[in-house]
Amino acid sequence: MRTLRRAATDKLRAWAARRHGRDTLPVKIHRRRIYILPTRFGIMLGFVLVAMLLAGLNYNSNLGLALGFLMASVALVTMHHCNRNLLGLHVDVTTEADAFAGGEANFEFALKNTSNVERRDVEVRCQNAGGTCSVFAGSSESVTVAVPVPRRGIVRIAQFELRTRYPFGWFHAWTYVQGSLTAYVAPAPRGDRTLPAVAGAGSGSRSETRGDEDFAGLRAYEPGVPLKHMAWKVLARGGEAAVRSYTALAALPEWLEWSALTGLDTESRLSQLCLWVLESEAAQRIYGLRLPGKEIAPALGAAHRFACLRALAVHAISEPR
Amino acid sequence: MNPKLLSYEQLWGIFACLALALLAHLGSLPVWVLVTVAVSGGLRLALARRGRGAPPRALRLGVAAVAIALLFAQFRTFNGLSAGTALLALVAGLKMLETETQRDIYVITLSIYFVSVSALLESTSFWLFAYLIAVCWLTTAALLRLTGTLPLPDWRRCLRYSVLLLGQALPLALALWLLFPRFAGPLWHIPNDGHIAASGLGDTMSPGDIDQLALSDEVAFRAHFAGAAPPPQERYWRGPVMHDFDGHTWTRSYSAPLGAPTFVPQGPAYDYTVSLEANQRRWVFALDWPSHWDLADTGLTRDYTLMRRDPVSRPIDLVATSHTQVRWTAPLSNVMRASDTRIPSNRNPRTMQLAQSLRREHPDDAQFVRAVLAMFTQQPFYYTLTPPKLADDSVDAFLFDTKRGFCEHYASAFAMLMRAAGIPAHVVTGYQGGTFNRFGDYWIVRQSDAHAWDEIWIEGHGWLRVDPTSVIAPERVELGAGDVLNAADAAADGWQGRFLWFADARLRLDALKQLWRERILFFDQSSQKQLLEWLNIPEPDGQKLVLLLTAALTLVLCWLTWTVRREVDHAPRDALNRAYSRLCGKLAAAGIPRRSYEGAEDYAARVARHRPDLSPEVTALCRQYSILRYAAPPAPITVNEFDDAVRAFRPHPPLKRQDSPAS
Repeated sequence: MRTLRRAATDKLRAWAARRHGRDTLPVKIHRRRIYILPTRFGIMLGFVLVAMLLAGLNYNSNLGLALGFLMASVALVTMHHCNRNLLGLHVDVTTEADAFAGGEANFEFALKNTSNVERRDVEVRCQNAGGTCSVFAGSSESVTVAVPVPRRGIVRIAQFELRTRYPFGWFHAWTYVQGSLTAYVAPAPRGDRTLPAVAGAGSGSRSETRGDEDFAGLRAYEPGVPLKHMAWKVLARGGEAAVRSYTALAALPEWLEWSALTGLDTESRLSQLCLWVLESEAAQRIYGLRLPGKEIAPALGAAHRFACLRALAVHAISEPR
Repeated sequence: MNPKLLSYEQLWGIFACLALALLAHLGSLPVWVLVTVAVSGGLRLALARRGRGAPPRALRLGVAAVAIALLFAQFRTFNGLSAGTALLALVAGLKMLETETQRDIYVITLSIYFVSVSALLESTSFWLFAYLIAVCWLTTAALLRLTGTLPLPDWRRCLRYSVLLLGQALPLALALWLLFPRFAGPLWHIPNDGHIAASGLGDTMSPGDIDQLALSDEVAFRAHFAGAAPPPQERYWRGPVMHDFDGHTWTRSYSAPLGAPTFVPQGPAYDYTVSLEANQRRWVFALDWPSHWDLADTGLTRDYTLMRRDPVSRPIDLVATSHTQVRWTAPLSNVMRASDTRIPSNRNPRTMQLAQSLRREHPDDAQFVRAVLAMFTQQPFYYTLTPPKLADDSVDAFLFDTKRGFCEHYASAFAMLMRAAGIPAHVVTGYQGGTFNRFGDYWIVRQSDAHAWDEIWIEGHGWLRVDPTSVIAPERVELGAGDVLNAADAAADGWQGRFLWFADARLRLDALKQLWRERILFFDQSSQKQLLEWLNIPEPDGQKLVLLLTAALTLVLCWLTWTVRREVDHAPRDALNRAYSRLCGKLAAAGIPRRSYEGAEDYAARVARHRPDLSPEVTALCRQYSILRYAAPPAPITVNEFDDAVRAFRPHPPLKRQDSPAS
């Protein structure tokens, strides 16, 4: 039963994808792409309504029929309200997310409701993960969907789904959006090798090193510098943005080398490199990454970290799934 | 969907709805079922209050098994309305006990809906109907609170939303109700539960029966005459006819169906409709001698009572033609003569003696009748609603000792005297008179109009109605029992009499009831046919009805789609936005259009820089807009006031000496 259902859903998904083509985000949900079916509870209600009708006809009771018809009409109105709950919603999403293998890729969806009716209990579903939110009239709401990513690599999600059972759970309305989402899944940070000592030790300028925490003066701000090194007081006095410079920062970069990790298989190497990237970032040491066929120049900061993690994620993955 | 645990508040709401729905069944459900439902619901609520889950599974199953076994032991079936409803109520109540997740609640809401409808199946009451619609409304609102996964909307919002849903559902429901094809009979046999006691006149008549009825204000039936109504002294509605007398009690015996009518109508024919209330009896009240009637499974018996095959378990309409004067063509059958002259031996000896001595004086039947009636007027007989209790030989006790009685005493004594003299006689019970409702052109016949009289067979003439009560209290027949008794007891009942408007209001209400009955309760195939005719549809039949239903449903659904989507498709800007846009438009005309990224306060500041003369007004208006838009209510100004202020605001054109404003 479950496999049958899944097969039917897959067929429908494929058909919807062919029917609507690729969507460019943000997407406004058009009425022609909203599907609706009764839920199991809705089908139960249907049986009860039929029973009411039969009882009313059998007893020739106009009052019983009237109440039965009223409830049936309420069910039909509810169907429209369920459909309307998705109609005309604007959906946008951050199309890229970064994650570690075994963790979750967090896609942030923004739902914008420009109409005068509140949209309650709209669920966004990506693969098997979902998030629910309500969007008030004329406002927007964001909802994060955490998609589990067990393995390293690039996860592409070609389609996500918006669904709702509002108001009574009698009907289930849904729509497919053909927006491609990409998750770069870095290897799980793991390993027992210590962070390598700075490569090329003794090549001269090491003498300047006086320790991580030693203040060595101010230098001009450049993007990517950790915020905790900002010279806020200088900025507050009205000066130009400046960064406190430490001697360690000025030190030679350390290289995180693929080739240094001999004796490990590919995934373990990548995991170890990933752990080192995170450790270096935490320790505020400038670092570079060398992989076979790829080199990332030494730097520090969020952007650099992302670049390194993505390099680790896509390493040796030729054809993303 | 993940099973979601329910809070105390949610449980409480749905349990209240269940209780309200079961309230409508108060009379028909066994008390222990209601108690079981109440106890299991209460127990579950008490547990939920302490933050605990449902009781252990074994206990729940045990209770359910015992309750259902008990139910079966009581009803012997689960078929039929009361048994089915009791089962449903029990299941819903026990479900309450084990409710943990939303899914359990769904089952309960469905039972509430069905229990509500089943309460209406045998009911005709407008108030019950309105009450159950309200119950469904509350249940729907409770359901909304149950299914919401995010912060629960508050009760008031839920109720408002359900009203909106019901309102939008109304046209659809109306179309379905008007046009859904009705069937003439039931689809399958309706088991008669027999939980409703029969009311009104019964199979037997003993002294004291009718004066009990006379206290009841309940409506027996309403009658509408197509033409003129017969005069009061001829307005006798015949009911069960009593043949067997045991000295105290008269009993209706089985009477075979009449083959061919044995009378020829004379005098005016009266066409009328009797709207009979459900009384669980098989007889139907008709005016005197019916010659024609339009009611399925109904026929005349040999004693001219209209008898149905099944008891009247729901209101029915009898359309009939009757005559108050007839000529009898066939002689009295021997069977009838034998049963109508039989007297219990050894009972009422004094009456027997009296009859025999009178008969010796008056050998002629007509003279004998006159002599008996004369005895009632000459001797001190009284007409009273509170006669003294009578001994076993009731006729003796009445005629010779108490001499106070109500109609049944006189009818009983008269018939006994006739039979003792060999004249075939029987007692007829029924109704006499009625109150005319001028607001609805029909007569209301209440239980208090119940009456008993006699019919005697006079050779060469046939059956003749004799009402001995009319001799004692002629005003009873001319005015009606209620009026006579009111006159006698004006102090107790003067309230009604003194306030005419009260009586009028009662009649108006009754007319509404009759309208409800005609238009709603009796809406059927023929009404649908009339509806089609009214719509100028030629040759109305079931097929055209279905076509019309389809067309109407299509139309209503289109309307529904349009109404529901209208709010989304062209989202009309709200009043505040319109007013603000007007303000921006005026300022743009004055040369300072708002930039798309500019908030109200920034815009006001820019206006102030370029046009200091407008600054106070514009700053104030923009401030008001921000408050209305963003601040928590209550705002110091309403949207309408803001709109008025914007309308009143007239930025004069920029003065020459000022710098031309940057745009």
